[in-house]
Amino acid sequence: MLQNFKTIFYKDFAAFFRSGNAYIILGIYAILSFASAFYFGGYFILDNSSLISFFHFQPDILMILLPAVTMRSWADEYRLGTIEYLLTQPVSYGTAVCAKYCATFLFGMLTLTLSLPLWIISSFFIELDNINILSSYIGCILITGCFCALGCAISAFNKNTVIAYIITIFVLWGVYSLNLDFLLTSTQQFSDEVFAKVIRSLNFSKHYQDVVSGQIGLDNIIYFFSLIFPALWINIVVLEYKKK
Amino acid sequence: MIVAKNLSKSFQDIKAVDDVNFCIKKGEVVALLGPNGAGKTTVMRLLTGYLQQDSGEISIYGFNITENREEALRKVGYVPENAPLYPEMSVFEYLHFTGALRGLSHDDLNISLAEVASQMQLSEVLNQRIDTLSKGFRHRTAVAGALIYKPRILILDEPTEGLDPNQKQDMRTFIKRYGEKNIVIVSTHILEEVESIASRILLMSRGKLISDTTPASLKNLYPNKNMAEAFRLMTSEK
Repeated sequence: MLQNFKTIFYKDFAAFFRSGNAYIILGIYAILSFASAFYFGGYFILDNSSLISFFHFQPDILMILLPAVTMRSWADEYRLGTIEYLLTQPVSYGTAVCAKYCATFLFGMLTLTLSLPLWIISSFFIELDNINILSSYIGCILITGCFCALGCAISAFNKNTVIAYIITIFVLWGVYSLNLDFLLTSTQQFSDEVFAKVIRSLNFSKHYQDVVSGQIGLDNIIYFFSLIFPALWINIVVLEYKKK
Repeated sequence: MIVAKNLSKSFQDIKAVDDVNFCIKKGEVVALLGPNGAGKTTVMRLLTGYLQQDSGEISIYGFNITENREEALRKVGYVPENAPLYPEMSVFEYLHFTGALRGLSHDDLNISLAEVASQMQLSEVLNQRIDTLSKGFRHRTAVAGALIYKPRILILDEPTEGLDPNQKQDMRTFIKRYGEKNIVIVSTHILEEVESIASRILLMSRGKLISDTTPASLKNLYPNKNMAEAFRLMTSEK
């Protein structure tokens, strides 16, 4: 099983570079990240001890770029017809899904490493709160994990990579913007504290902000993993369903 | 040995495969023959677990394809229609990928890779990207990918499509030789191919298995007709 995982993982990860898409995505990420931090984030004006001007825009940038990474994972297999080859190998669907997910996730992590020079260079000029920055990176890694899992699952529904890209952006935007606080105000008279807690805990950006601000807790981790695992499960179910 | 019992598969209201039964033993080269839409490709997809049958069961060397999918598929090498490949890979990378997926060790993989590359005459294009290959080379690469782990069952959908006459002849000779010690199932429209390679014919029409015969018996059935006429009569009669 591990051998199959490694084989598919390596095939998918290498495919980003073989096709040349990797360099385009990495280049755009670097441009968008630094441009947003320097021009829109007020890098030179604000107190940047935790590089907030950089991390503030990361979810939006990843929301645009990660679907370009995940869109190919299954949609391309359908388009090329190689899905028939891949799914007739002695490989469990779970292994194939996890391997493809991990390949996109690792690529997502690789894009994040492009921002490390900003951290290093900034440390020469400003006194940085490194713990907070590390926490912000953990936040970025968690949302990368979520976005990749959702993107791969959506890719499994589609033959067309462009459609997969558009739907993924739309879904990620929906998940990121999920804020049901209005329910609390409209049901103020009936709602109890547990209900209020549940509603607030569904807020994606709140969890990201918690992590970025250094207040990382178990509830944040559980929240992100509760999005990743069901997305992977949906991915497997879609493949099984398409057999029928 | 492959055993298919009461195999049925529908797509919405269309019965693609309707109560098909057969048993194929080692040493047989079986041609799945039939007009377009007869259900040949669907049968192949059911045998390889790519599709799930609505009813019936398939056993491959004792392993039920639904219950023991991975064990059953370890015995099978499959080249789907149009021989789909990963265009950005080189031939070497593709063969390496297929061998690694089958769990071949590094040394075994290198030996097998050299063997199939020579067998399929791919040595000269090993480092070439697949999207730059001609159709014939692409097809041979796909077959080489299925052969790299020496499967006991080889399933080929239209195995000579896109090959030039010499390559076709080589492929047919290879199939015949491989079928001596293994099981080979080919789907084809080319009747001369059936005559030259198959030891058995499963003739399908509208999802049903209308005849399980040999090329010689098929000819004897209509002594004054050639194979093409016999095929036409059988598939239009029933």
